[in-house]
Amino acid sequence: MKIKFLLLILLFSNSAFSNYKFETVLDDLDDAWSFVFLSEDRVLFTEMSGKLKIASLSNKFINEIDGTPLVQYSGQGGLSDLALDPDFESNNTIYLSYSAKDQNKSTTLFLISAELNGNSLENSKVIFQAKAPRRSPMHLGAKIAFLNDGTLLLTSGDGFDHREKAQTLDNHFGKIIRINKDGSIPKDNPFLDVKGALPEIYTYGHRNMQGLLVTKSGEVYEHEHGPRGGDEMNRIEPSLNYGWPAITYGIDYSGAVISPFTEKEGMEQPLVYWVPSIAPSDMIYYEDDAYPELENSFLVSALVSKDVKKVTFANGTDTQESLFSEVNERLRNIGASPNGILYLLTDGPKSQLIKVLPKE
Amino acid sequence: MKIAKYPFAIFSAALFAVMLMTPISSISKLIWLASVDMPVGLISSLEVILFDFQRLGTGLFVILVLGFTIAFSTAGLISKFSPLGGKYLYAIAGGAAISMALFLMVELIFQSELLAGNKTVLGKILHFGAGFFGGYFFHHLISSERSYTFIIRFLGIFYAYWLFGLVLEWVFTPVNASANFGFVFNELASDAQNALLRDFTSFFMATFLFAVLGSITLNPVWFFSAGIVYFGAGIFNLMAIYAHGTEFNQIFIFEFILGAWPSALGLTILLKEKRQHKDAKSLNE
Repeated sequence: MKIKFLLLILLFSNSAFSNYKFETVLDDLDDAWSFVFLSEDRVLFTEMSGKLKIASLSNKFINEIDGTPLVQYSGQGGLSDLALDPDFESNNTIYLSYSAKDQNKSTTLFLISAELNGNSLENSKVIFQAKAPRRSPMHLGAKIAFLNDGTLLLTSGDGFDHREKAQTLDNHFGKIIRINKDGSIPKDNPFLDVKGALPEIYTYGHRNMQGLLVTKSGEVYEHEHGPRGGDEMNRIEPSLNYGWPAITYGIDYSGAVISPFTEKEGMEQPLVYWVPSIAPSDMIYYEDDAYPELENSFLVSALVSKDVKKVTFANGTDTQESLFSEVNERLRNIGASPNGILYLLTDGPKSQLIKVLPKE
Repeated sequence: MKIAKYPFAIFSAALFAVMLMTPISSISKLIWLASVDMPVGLISSLEVILFDFQRLGTGLFVILVLGFTIAFSTAGLISKFSPLGGKYLYAIAGGAAISMALFLMVELIFQSELLAGNKTVLGKILHFGAGFFGGYFFHHLISSERSYTFIIRFLGIFYAYWLFGLVLEWVFTPVNASANFGFVFNELASDAQNALLRDFTSFFMATFLFAVLGSITLNPVWFFSAGIVYFGAGIFNLMAIYAHGTEFNQIFIFEFILGAWPSALGLTILLKEKRQHKDAKSLNE
């Protein structure tokens, strides 16, 4: 009796504090990884098996796009992120990141640009291939974002087995890459004049970065999976070293120490770190007004904690709040429609796209 | 008295091999950290080596027990039905067991190398060497009769090994350790921080040392001392919940287990000594 009474209290107290309602707008998606809105009704999304699809939310009609690249769908690899060109309305160009085998049969990260014409991709072109060959598709990163100057950022993960290489500049393991939209190297990239450094490198010392955003004012933020503990959110500035694996707040999955150090001069400290891990999967900076209570907040979706962390900063300290835990699913991605309505993408073989209805 | 010598010889050999294996990964990491100008010193090296022995070692111990069981059983059969045998057969079996276990972990399960020290050819050779000496040690343990003290010593050392993780956390990463007990270290007053660190570190260090001393001397008093401390923790935990209104937790179950384990060892020694004393007395009569 006492337990039932407590459960009733919990039930009502939960609904009293959380006024968000959710609506599943798409379901039964196969390992969906990323999505972007073409309009308030049309959404483009990737499935890791290599499929790119376009859906109408009003009539639930889903079309598959032809001409996607051949991907290596295993482990953590497959068709990953997609981004619209800043001039998409005029050039119909999109960008896709994915894992595939390179010329030597090793796995690495690729980025293509292609024109989306109707239900097919045309003029597809590989604009970047990471010099980060690995045996198995692990820790690829693969997030895409555009800087306000029109250049493109891509996260390239440390490949798990190659974590030490995140500290050297002769490879793309554990790096954020900056290239032009055609794959050429911007003239002001930070390591152009450093001997032995790959010219695409923008920052280094990262692990597996699956959140990357550029605010309207042009600030760049990233988050990355830590090992056991030590997930990080960082503010990105060109040429900086973010420390992995020489400094970390996490330990290895095996329990081993990765490094006894958490800070060092010349290596950046995270804005936020999470111990234990929440497994951050994506992030947006909410600058719309459909949810006034979320305005100017970072919204970080998470796989392990199965919620969205609202992160704000004031006077150098962060404040966090857990949102949308009622969905109770591993969250793979978060995004906003052109009108600022939030959508959550759940993880796994039966993924759903869930609309977050604003509070009444 | 006949005892289950073989299982405990495998457990002991596995723990011994773990002790040799984990520093391979620790040292390879320390060398790399030094190579990128990290301030590697004595304390940071100790932190890595000891934490790896305890945390990484726990998982490896389970894998090695399985691997050694298969390898040493096979070696036993070979020595029984062929002229081959002796310490080198077990040593090679131990080395092969570790090499095979690490290879299969990568190929069949993780597809990635989990042990930092096993990424190079030298590391692989050293891991084989750890298994080689593990097998050699196993042969040494089974080569002569063992009394019950062998089991007492193993269980005492294993108990201490488990507590060692808590000791290391309180010594090297006290802020994390206190967070695990619900304290927000930085929000405590300086006096409270001091009290927390000294008392908790002392608590775990003392019980760890009691277990080590009990295992070395086989004096039951050391084991009972550890037992009393943890039984006390369990009892006062319940008092805190029911008499002082703190939130219910299940930690008292583990505290009673940690109390019962060394107490059982102490009691066994006491009873055995009593029986031996009685037997000796009746022989004299």
